[in-house]
Amino acid sequence: MRSVLCYGDSNTHGQIPGRGPLERYGPGERWPGILRSQLGPDWYVIEEGLSGRTTVHDDPIEGAHKNGRTYLRPCLQSHATLDLVIIMLGTNDLKIRFNKPPSEVAMGIGCLVYDIKELAPGPGGSTPEIMIVAPPPMQDDVKEWKSIFAGAPEKSRLLALEFEVLADSLELHFFDAGSVVSCSEADGFHIDAEAHRLLGTALARAVDAIGWSRST
Amino acid sequence: MRFAPPNPLRIADRASGLNALSVRSYNERLVLSLLLQNEGISRMEIGEKTGLSAQTASVIVRSLEQEGLVSQGEAQRGRVGPPTIPLSLNPEGAYAVGVGFSRRRIDIALIDFIGTVRFHTQLPADEANPFPQSGDLFGAIRQAMTSLPVEARSRVAGIGLAVPDDVDTMAATRNGSSTSLKALQGEIEEQIKLPVFVQNDITAAAGGESMFGVAKPLNDYLFFYLGARLQSRLILNHQIYKGNSSASFDHGLMRLESELAMRGRPSEIIWSSSPEWPDLGEAYSAWLGECSDRLKASISALTQFVEFSSVVLSSYAPQKIAEALCDDIGREFPGIEALPARVSISPKAVGAASLPFSSRFMIQ
Repeated sequence: MRSVLCYGDSNTHGQIPGRGPLERYGPGERWPGILRSQLGPDWYVIEEGLSGRTTVHDDPIEGAHKNGRTYLRPCLQSHATLDLVIIMLGTNDLKIRFNKPPSEVAMGIGCLVYDIKELAPGPGGSTPEIMIVAPPPMQDDVKEWKSIFAGAPEKSRLLALEFEVLADSLELHFFDAGSVVSCSEADGFHIDAEAHRLLGTALARAVDAIGWSRST
Repeated sequence: MRFAPPNPLRIADRASGLNALSVRSYNERLVLSLLLQNEGISRMEIGEKTGLSAQTASVIVRSLEQEGLVSQGEAQRGRVGPPTIPLSLNPEGAYAVGVGFSRRRIDIALIDFIGTVRFHTQLPADEANPFPQSGDLFGAIRQAMTSLPVEARSRVAGIGLAVPDDVDTMAATRNGSSTSLKALQGEIEEQIKLPVFVQNDITAAAGGESMFGVAKPLNDYLFFYLGARLQSRLILNHQIYKGNSSASFDHGLMRLESELAMRGRPSEIIWSSSPEWPDLGEAYSAWLGECSDRLKASISALTQFVEFSSVVLSSYAPQKIAEALCDDIGREFPGIEALPARVSISPKAVGAASLPFSSRFMIQ
């Protein structure tokens, strides 16, 4: 049995576009659930999606626990042994309160990768396979989130390239979610059930394409 | 290091078209070579065969995908789990032109990245004039390139020339000015603005079969080329060896021609690339028997010294001739598998066209 950790924000949590933070798609509907059904019984899929999670920032408004870096270490150790870690973060870093360019969001992802490599929660204390997923670009209209995400939609369109540069540089698997899904018009930055299905299916293929040997 | 911005230099050139010659890294060549040999190999398998990590293989595959050299195949549903997407070379990722010089004709072929012949034409030649009028040759090469859609023309990796060893001598004996091979090579580079690679014709044909044909999975084999003469190469651990002696056996199609002439029969058909010959009667069966005996004698002699279990027989002549000869060899040597070559449209030109690929994209 292999394990994969899906480490992300509200779009991994399965938050329904245009609704409150407590409204969530069901376990079989959100992308980690789709991934589970697609990968089959050989895989154990662990969901770690938190709304508002950033790469490396304590959020002065939503709370320090939104910092993806401080939670990652206990999370990795709790779920070890891990064969694969999928990280899909970055959208929340674009909130105006953090004032970060897309390139620095990628550097935040780089910090998480550094921590995974240092902790080495893979089989036999090895580094697990790491896949960086660039979140789908935001819609221009983010409704009542307009002031919080001022300037963010434009930056969000640059994340995929920055993340891919990072993935090339650090030698990581990479997938651009924007190549298969778009954010819902309902709030402009969450993905709907159909998008979860498409993303989960595409990621299952990307995971499979790594080409795991049949044993273990 | 830890908090420095990532180094953007490693990333593939995002512009369309092929990267410059100098940036093709050894690891990229390694991955391309593996993909040529093993269609549908996965990143983990690439890692196992190369010692690279699966993630490093991912990075290389991504950059090759962006360049259009590698493509993901159709999803294949099978066992439990998501459909597998095999990774393979993109046939449209690169093209090359090959020119094969023979005694009676010159073949010009354009092949794609997996060796499929996309365009083929011929120019007449004879022993006194082994090189065609250069204008005709440039015309034929240009014709091969313009057979591609405009946007694909920038993906032609180069031009290969497969030339018999004695071609310079042949040219020198011609009356008046002689076009030397070097001069021709320079002239083509000048005119077509692509790198030109030159190799012995039979070695090139063997190389083409190793790269694209039945010899792909073979480490060691004995290669015969049945053209005007019968010539051979020994391939050991993917290296192509050419004997020191320039001897080639007079049991090729020239012999068939004289058998036909003796019986007063026309022989033009055997120099054409017609996929079938009419019944050539007694001359044909006499020649075929001799040719088969010559092949068997060579194989038998070589088995005294080298261990090999495969023979590949290449020819532009109709496939059924190679098949008949291979059957003969199989009967004589039960431990040896004799295979008709897969490349049948001008093996020399296809082999020549494989030269730019091996030089620019593969490990040697």
